[in-house]
Amino acid sequence: MKGKLRIGFYALTSCYGCQLQFAMMDEIVQLIPNAEIVCWYMLERDSYEEKPVDIAFIEGSVSTEEEVRLVRKIRENAKIVVAVGSCAVHGGVQSWEKDKPVEELWKAVYGNATVKFRPKPAKPVEDYIKVDYRIYGCPPEKKDFLYALGTFLVGSWPEDIDYPVCVECRLNGHPCILIEKGEPCLGPITRAGCDARCPGFGVACIGCRGAIGYDVAWFDSLARTFKEKGLTKEEILQRMKIFNAHNPKLEEMVEKIFREVKE
Amino acid sequence: MNNVYLPITVDHIARVEGKGGVEILVSDDGVKEVRLNIIEGPRFFEAITLGKKLEEALAVYPRICSFCSAAHKLTAVEAAEKAIGFTPREEIRALREVLYIGDMIESHVLHLYLLVLPDYLGYSGPLHMVEEYKKEIGIALDLKNLGSWMMDELGARAIHQENVVLGGFGKLPGKATLELMKKRLQEALPKAEYTFELFSELEQYGDVEGPITHLAVKPRGPYGIYGDYISASDGNEFPSEAYREHIKEFVVEHSFAKHSHYHGKPFMVGAISRVVNHSDKLYGMAKELYEAHKDLLRPTNPFANNLAQALELVYFTERAIDLIDEALAKWPIRPRDEVEIKDGFGVSTTEAPRGILVYALEVKDGKVAYADIITPTAFNLAMMEQHVRMMAEKHYNDDPERLKYLAEMVVRAYDPCISCSVHVARL
Repeated sequence: MKGKLRIGFYALTSCYGCQLQFAMMDEIVQLIPNAEIVCWYMLERDSYEEKPVDIAFIEGSVSTEEEVRLVRKIRENAKIVVAVGSCAVHGGVQSWEKDKPVEELWKAVYGNATVKFRPKPAKPVEDYIKVDYRIYGCPPEKKDFLYALGTFLVGSWPEDIDYPVCVECRLNGHPCILIEKGEPCLGPITRAGCDARCPGFGVACIGCRGAIGYDVAWFDSLARTFKEKGLTKEEILQRMKIFNAHNPKLEEMVEKIFREVKE
Repeated sequence: MNNVYLPITVDHIARVEGKGGVEILVSDDGVKEVRLNIIEGPRFFEAITLGKKLEEALAVYPRICSFCSAAHKLTAVEAAEKAIGFTPREEIRALREVLYIGDMIESHVLHLYLLVLPDYLGYSGPLHMVEEYKKEIGIALDLKNLGSWMMDELGARAIHQENVVLGGFGKLPGKATLELMKKRLQEALPKAEYTFELFSELEQYGDVEGPITHLAVKPRGPYGIYGDYISASDGNEFPSEAYREHIKEFVVEHSFAKHSHYHGKPFMVGAISRVVNHSDKLYGMAKELYEAHKDLLRPTNPFANNLAQALELVYFTERAIDLIDEALAKWPIRPRDEVEIKDGFGVSTTEAPRGILVYALEVKDGKVAYADIITPTAFNLAMMEQHVRMMAEKHYNDDPERLKYLAEMVVRAYDPCISCSVHVARL
């Protein structure tokens, strides 16, 4: 790699937690000599959205017309585009009611008042531009950033994790919240990488890293288990949709369980 | 019709949380318009959580904002617990406040050292200061790490604390960890004091000097975070539940965030407002520092907010130690009580790092039937715009770059959290 790695960190509509997590790494001080921060408004006044970069980290969902223009511009200017966090990768919690028209949500909030900017339904970055790599989590773990950056710095790339939170939960020896407590833990369908952080605290996983890829998120099996524990179809869908509203397989797989012949 | 010159604009204010801009329109007879454009998309939190299971809504609310996710979580949980008629035990309340303080420390340190200080030292950002200001960056990292670690231990992580649940905590750290927390807080105290000294020497621009109405939650005991009444610097006081009678929200067309007025006028919330309204409830080292530097912690200048945050770093470091002691006195502590999710309505007002945070929740059949959330930055926007205007009126003949810089510094002093402000409430 010639010269310094040119990095841009761009935010769309989000809570800024991914950037905060990135900014809060002590290791960032060691990164500075190897990188040139071209655009990072949160920490740098001399930021330029128009300039070319080697790596563009994008946080947030695309939620306004302006953001559509911005992501397209970033794609043109960047060698590598990385979607960072649940909003950028999966549309975020703001997609929870993605089937409700944005006009309806707008009315509930602003009434008939007009605002000169136009909101759009929240969508993942990938709905508008090609994304090369993804960093998962709400927020991602610090090691997720370090791993991705480390691979880029040596000219490689980050591999996706393809197993569920349960794997890490078992390795840690935590009691199973789903089986032992009967709580609706989403560990079985959620991408690992957090070291089963919440189950370690005795709290059921809410799926913040999003469903495992490669079509191995078995929404149907977990829905059947939840159904046996007394949850309704609506309750199951709502819980699974907090972080997976845009997942194309989720609804049909859950529906399937409720279409099965009643015994 | 006056000639309006090209607007002086900052499209994207750097070194604040979120995405917003400033627009200043100047004509022949001075400053015509000043607008804070809030351009981050809305996320309709109240609308998307309607009809959702209470626990799931409580997991989603912190996602309004990462800089103050613990504040959102703890305030939402308190409103929910009030709604279902549950009161947590004293020791649980104490430990929740310690978690909240972790957020306060992290947020203030981030704002002071990484967002504000570069302006005063002539840097475009903190990453350039590492070589020249090793000591300051070192202190910033140490204090930040302390706040994050407190949230990791008590909240399961520093951003979006899933360990806070209805009825208490999922799991509590052991006694040794709490003892260690005390020790680390004690060790941090000199660093907090150094921060206060450092910020007491920074200029507070006289251009924006003038009367300000301050609102702050009246703490239940000593100076702090939780309270059931809101006090105003005009001598008024009202119960939290009555917030809508005194504070009116309205939509402005250049912002996805609503503005608010108190009795028809802009007002301010935040560290300086807490200090102005409740300095008599300070104690310990912070009390001494306050007495010695009263003249700098003026109620008439938004720039005093920076120093007030530094004062709070000292105060909350000591306060957290006392709260841990209160909890340890009741050791061993059961982390969680069973709760029954009954129907009801609850309002919680707490002091987030940036000022008053309001959550009003109605619970019906275990689901959210009504939600109203108002964030500190939304409260502050009208006042902030007014202060930017004052700055513009003094400097519109200067070099536009200089005016932009000063306008940004006014905004930065407020420590705005734009993601919070655009979470948007129902009318």
